[in-house]
Amino acid sequence: MNIQDNYLKNKKNIFFSQNKDVQNHREKLIDIFENDRFDKKNNESLKNINLKNFIDFKYKYLIPEETSVINNNQENSYSIVSVNGQCSSYKDDKIEITRILDEDYNDFSKNHTIEKNDHFVNLNSLFLNSGFKIVIKKNNNIKIKISNIITDDHLTIFQKNNYICEEGSSLNLIEEYENKNNSTSNILNVIKLDKNSQLNHFLIQDNSPNHNLIITSHSSCRKDSTYTQKVYNFSEGYVRNFHYSELIEANSEADLQGIFFLKDNNTSNNKTFVKHLAEDCKSNQVYKGILNDRSKATYFSNTHVDQVAQKTEGYQLSKGILLSDNASFFSKPELKIYADDVKCSHGSTIGPIDENAIFYLRSRGMSKIAATKILISSFINEELSSIDNEQMSEIIQKKLVRYLSKVK
Amino acid sequence: MNSETLNTLDTYSKNKYKYGFVTEIDDERPKKGLNEDTIKFISLKKNEPVWMLEWRLKAYSKWKKMKEPKWANLSFPEIDYQDIYYYSAPKGFEKKPKDLSEVDPKLIETYNKLGIPLEEQKVLAGVAVDVVFDSVSVATTYKGELEKLGIIFCSIGEAIQKHPDLIKKYLGSVIPPGDHSFSALNSAVFTDGSFVYIPVGVKCPMELSTYFRINAENTGQFERTLIIADKGSYVSYLEGCTAPKRDDNQLHAANVELIALEDAEIKYSTVQNWYPGDENGKGGIYNFVTKRGLCAGKNSKISWTQVETGSAITWKYPSCILKGDNSIGEFYSVAITNNFQQADTGTKMTHIGKNTKSKIISKGISLGNSQNTYRGEVSFLRKAEKARNYTQCDSLLVGNQCGAHTVPYIDSKNNTAVIEHEASTSKINEDQLYYCRQRGLSHEEAVSLIVNGFCKQVLQELPMEFAVEAQKLVSISLEGSVG
Repeated sequence: MNIQDNYLKNKKNIFFSQNKDVQNHREKLIDIFENDRFDKKNNESLKNINLKNFIDFKYKYLIPEETSVINNNQENSYSIVSVNGQCSSYKDDKIEITRILDEDYNDFSKNHTIEKNDHFVNLNSLFLNSGFKIVIKKNNNIKIKISNIITDDHLTIFQKNNYICEEGSSLNLIEEYENKNNSTSNILNVIKLDKNSQLNHFLIQDNSPNHNLIITSHSSCRKDSTYTQKVYNFSEGYVRNFHYSELIEANSEADLQGIFFLKDNNTSNNKTFVKHLAEDCKSNQVYKGILNDRSKATYFSNTHVDQVAQKTEGYQLSKGILLSDNASFFSKPELKIYADDVKCSHGSTIGPIDENAIFYLRSRGMSKIAATKILISSFINEELSSIDNEQMSEIIQKKLVRYLSKVK
Repeated sequence: MNSETLNTLDTYSKNKYKYGFVTEIDDERPKKGLNEDTIKFISLKKNEPVWMLEWRLKAYSKWKKMKEPKWANLSFPEIDYQDIYYYSAPKGFEKKPKDLSEVDPKLIETYNKLGIPLEEQKVLAGVAVDVVFDSVSVATTYKGELEKLGIIFCSIGEAIQKHPDLIKKYLGSVIPPGDHSFSALNSAVFTDGSFVYIPVGVKCPMELSTYFRINAENTGQFERTLIIADKGSYVSYLEGCTAPKRDDNQLHAANVELIALEDAEIKYSTVQNWYPGDENGKGGIYNFVTKRGLCAGKNSKISWTQVETGSAITWKYPSCILKGDNSIGEFYSVAITNNFQQADTGTKMTHIGKNTKSKIISKGISLGNSQNTYRGEVSFLRKAEKARNYTQCDSLLVGNQCGAHTVPYIDSKNNTAVIEHEASTSKINEDQLYYCRQRGLSHEEAVSLIVNGFCKQVLQELPMEFAVEAQKLVSISLEGSVG
């Protein structure tokens, strides 16, 4: 079934489909799909994707029965369970959670900054069927943990979340994606950081082989704010991590990091894009990948420095280790610079594990496998040791051990 | 920016293009536009065999179905291929002059103005020059000496007549006519260029050099160069360009193919200083060049060195296909853009064989309102065991109206191959400037020194004959331009 028929057939289950403006907007999107037809040749961000899953999908969505739970177990700490992309409303003097359906659509539909030719974002806008908005009120320091649960097989979830950190607030956000059923989630996170606010965003992805996860985020930072994102991808199914960040006012900072562990026939597509639109901003994009068996990965990074963004510091780093003959890694670290007083750089390496290091360890009596495992751990040690949350650090260590046990 | 910088920027922007002059010579050309008749006309003029004409027509039919590649970071008005002359040869050149005294004195004068007096060069420089004036080779010197060694160095037109076997075997083998629209265009209408064949085991004793020069308004130049280095041979080839000042954009779509067989080495150096357009971005050459080398045999090596300072639009990616085991590809580049120049240049290293190595050093300097892009691809195919690549691309920005961009593509399909890539973008270091000025250098001298240091890694790769010219070019480009 093509996208248009699919949409028309399921229209009544899709959010905002009664709204005239939204209808117009969606008709335009359908036109884009019709004209472009996911042209793989001219759109490198579609590299390695099995498009069939995403074009000819069967739309299926279940409205969750039980309302999701919000626990205020410790002060300033919240646990949210999002079921099929939805969670119920909640309000206190520190945070406010609302359903996306209660929002004014125009508020978040006009997001011109996100790349227009990102088909998956367009699909998300077209089939939107879940999502929520979380506001952290002024000068609060909050911890939130979100567990994403999907209740049935073969669901197609198109979810849009808004996160707003008001002035002076600080949020520690942990998101877990651990699903064992064969569903597809297409999630768009729109994150707004007001003056002097801070968001530490952790994403732990660990899905089963037939679960597809497409996660796109768009963050914008105002004066003196900092957005830090760390993605840990242990999934055995397809994952697409595309993260766009805009530094719109002076002295703001974006730090986008990720590690992916791939094996078997799995693929993963990753992209980070930082736009410097004001002076004195800093950005950092670091992705590391370990690829085993027949796995494939792509990583696109891009630093765009506008003409006014003087005194910019923008760094990129991409590192890949190929453990098998059949694994492949493609990286494209891009710099687009229109201001002269900048310090920008990128580095990219792809290769096997250092033979000399293996030799060193083996000469001290270690087996080859043990040496390999130690070197993989040390490759990502910097990222793992920088996690200041003990509980999270433990979770990730466990997953790493599980991944390493399959390395031969 | 301080006032001194602004002043120097200002004086530079008023610097006029030194080599902008026109030699008035009667032209003989077909009608404007591209169709089968044009191609037949060219083929007839060049007295070509039928198989060559057929080859051209086949390329033309491919071109008709193709669109220009659009992925480069360049903006320019649509090229009207029907508004271009595809062949222009000074009259009476069907019969080649036997020696320099038979050459039109005006031509000789042109070269003298450019600083390459043929007669002097013949004696002093020890360089055999195959000069291309518009589309026909004027004179080929040093031929006899090269012939003794069995080296063939002639125009491609002559090679088609005299060495059809080599042409049939190698022409289009590295750049197939259907590769992209500019290669198809070139294959259909190429008029001249050089042909070099180095026999087994011969080390070419001198630098072979061609001085291309575009004359005649509205004439696109479509050279085709083919260099074949047979087993165990070595050749160093120089190419350099300056063009007279014109207001109409001139199209230039050359194809250069290099083939290195077992243990052979080819070194190809370019200094390109075509008319870049005036300070408002009017005029200038559109330069769409396809250069590709094939390391066909074991232990072969191809090395590209380029200094790009001219042209309104530069679209150029000298590439290496490293097919033979242990083969080596190198790319050294300095690209300077000023005013409204746009350059999208880089390289492509495709590692196919085992133990292949490649090295890329690229230096981009943007001034004025220019846009300078490095675009490079390094790919390791599945069988490229123990392949190795090192890439370094640095950009320097002078002024805040220009842009510097880096777009590398890195693809590894082999787990024993190692790839390293690094890039940086910055302005001229204030501390270094301060240090130099403290020691009594003027602002401009200091900048010149720093920029020369920035480019040194590449400039030192040039052969002696070019190194001087290139350094001169770089400092001319910087004269009064930087702060």
